[in-house]
Amino acid sequence: MKRQRLTPYLLLLPGLFPIVAFMSLVVGMAVSQSIGYFNFAGDDRFSLEFWEGMLSQNQFWRVFWYSARIAILSSLISVMLAYPVALWLRRPFPGSDLISAMIKAPLLVHGLVAAFLFVNFISFQGFLNVALVKLGLIDRPIRMQNDSYAIGVVILQVWKNMPLAFLVITGSVRAIGDDILDAARDLGAGSLARLRRVILPLTLRALQAALILIFIGAAGDWSFQVVAGPTNIQSMAQFMHRVQSDNAAHGWNEAAVVAVMLMALSLFGSLTLAGLMQLIVRRMGR
Amino acid sequence: MAQASTALSVRSASLRYGTFQALSEISFEASQGQLVTLLGPSGCGKTTLLKAIAGFIPLDGGTVEIKGQDMQDVPPEKRDTAMCFQSYALFPHLTVADNIGFGLRQRRLGAQDIATRVAAVAEQVGLSSQLGKLPGQLSGGQQQRVALARAMAVRPGVMLFDEPLSNLDAKLRDHVRMEIRALQREHGFTAVYVTHDQAEALAMSDLVIVMRAGVIEQMGRPEDIYRFPANRFVADFIGTANIMPLRILDVDRTRGEYKVSSPLGEAVVRSDTPPVSDHIYACWRPEDAQITKPTADAQNRFEVRVTTRTFLGSQCDFSVHPLGDATNRYRIQTHGFAPVSEGETIGVVIAPDAIRFLAEAVR
Ligand SMILES: Nc1ncnc2c1ncn2[C@@H]1O[C@H](COP(=O)(O)OP(=O)(O)OP(=O)(O)O)[C@@H](O)[C@H]1O
Ligand SMILES: [Mg+2]
Repeated sequence: MKRQRLTPYLLLLPGLFPIVAFMSLVVGMAVSQSIGYFNFAGDDRFSLEFWEGMLSQNQFWRVFWYSARIAILSSLISVMLAYPVALWLRRPFPGSDLISAMIKAPLLVHGLVAAFLFVNFISFQGFLNVALVKLGLIDRPIRMQNDSYAIGVVILQVWKNMPLAFLVITGSVRAIGDDILDAARDLGAGSLARLRRVILPLTLRALQAALILIFIGAAGDWSFQVVAGPTNIQSMAQFMHRVQSDNAAHGWNEAAVVAVMLMALSLFGSLTLAGLMQLIVRRMGR
Repeated sequence: MAQASTALSVRSASLRYGTFQALSEISFEASQGQLVTLLGPSGCGKTTLLKAIAGFIPLDGGTVEIKGQDMQDVPPEKRDTAMCFQSYALFPHLTVADNIGFGLRQRRLGAQDIATRVAAVAEQVGLSSQLGKLPGQLSGGQQQRVALARAMAVRPGVMLFDEPLSNLDAKLRDHVRMEIRALQREHGFTAVYVTHDQAEALAMSDLVIVMRAGVIEQMGRPEDIYRFPANRFVADFIGTANIMPLRILDVDRTRGEYKVSSPLGEAVVRSDTPPVSDHIYACWRPEDAQITKPTADAQNRFEVRVTTRTFLGSQCDFSVHPLGDATNRYRIQTHGFAPVSEGETIGVVIAPDAIRFLAEAVR
């Protein structure tokens, strides 16, 4: 009896062990370093000075909220764009396969490549400016590159992540049977009521999954920020790197604080977003 | 224009799935409060017809009118219909109570009214104790009753039932069927009812429509369909039929009597409608044959040999064949016990008006 209950867990061990081990190693390392252990430049001793130092910096909080904003905008916009398209492609029609293949294409292009293409496209002498000038819409080229609102970064994030959201949402949208939607219509539900009362609740899990995945990816962004991001502010990842290289003595410890905060942002930010989505969908379904 | 009492009228309805003709030229009418049954083999288009009436699938030709109003441009959500789906189509994320109340909330009833009506309908289909569960936590038969309750709760003018009782045991089926009838009497809805159960069809309907491959084969009152099937398909599909080819030998027009030759021997058929051809199919029902003593003398008395005998309690079933001709088998049925054993030769009498010409010539 007892052995029977134990066996499945034992069978899980070979797979679970490395995952748990590496996870806790990374998280453990970061947390330990942030409180003064694994100190490369001095004694290992418990200290909250790095936390206090970092959390009292205005610069840090600017970076933190900047990354949070990018993550929220990117995940929300990606999901909001992907959702209607997934609904539209729910039932196959001539050409729908081609459309959905084209939507997924960005998944095959590396983000860094896309970022460089994008920067080329919008640069001062780039295609877009030249075209706008030639068309007579503007007199002189506009500076769009590395805009200080990070619009370029959000565009890139959405471009890269919309396909992911589309993929996740399509599966759950397709799983809704025609009969269920017909039943809702039959009982008097127009298209908005069907969306509110049937489709959204049934695709909520996929929506949440897409939000979480994109949020975490965008919060930790490095490459889009470096290539196309504003120059007056940094992302968490960028900031972490700078803190580490700027401060020879305690760079690793301070970077570890940023790392832990980034993980916290990813975890709590994405869960909050998913929770809010659930509240909204529930409320709408009423 | 349809008459005022005509609740539902379908005219020349045709529908294609791609190149496949699923419905062709379907026409029928139902008055307020009538129950129309659709019968037919699997894949003949019953569900498709219901969905066309509900408006889920647009017709390629013909019209659907509800209470005299053409439904062409009326979307399903605006039609005064409610369908009980063959696939149940329950909302998996809603409890039984919310499923049943879905249409009522859509109709903006107050929470109190919804709760009352949900409770009442749930009671009628025996689901009162399941209201808090999700569909995934119900048995197949319970899910089916939720689908039925959900449609009935909105009390539409036209109810569309797609095999609503197929998954229930005999006792529950009788109970729910009576509840449907009671509700119908109470609220006077018109119903189109798909079933595979002929007994159900014959017992419940005002009008029976027998379909095959998207076409109406015959339409009429249950007793007429049973007693005067139009062709071999209908005769065979409704109840058990003995079908045999006849050759008309002689006609007595004044009495409407036809002397014919049949695999059973020479016989007399009495018919108000003349046969469509000299060489024609006819049918008779197993219960139309009476077993007589071998010596008795009567019109249409045939000698047959019993090959199998099945005792069913209230009745006896026999398989027989004409003497010297084992290729033609017929079924006969008697009420109560018949002291006849297998291998025995018996006489059977079939009344001249029990043999009916089918509108189908032998080719
Ligand atoms: N969406 C569809 N696309 C193509 N063909 C379809 C579609 N739906 C149904 N059909 C075809 O139309 C015919 C009628 O189907 P329908 O579901 O109306 O049959 P039915 O009489 O309800 O059968 P059953 O008794 O098995 O429920 C079938 O041959 C079926 O294969
Ligand atoms: Mg069907």
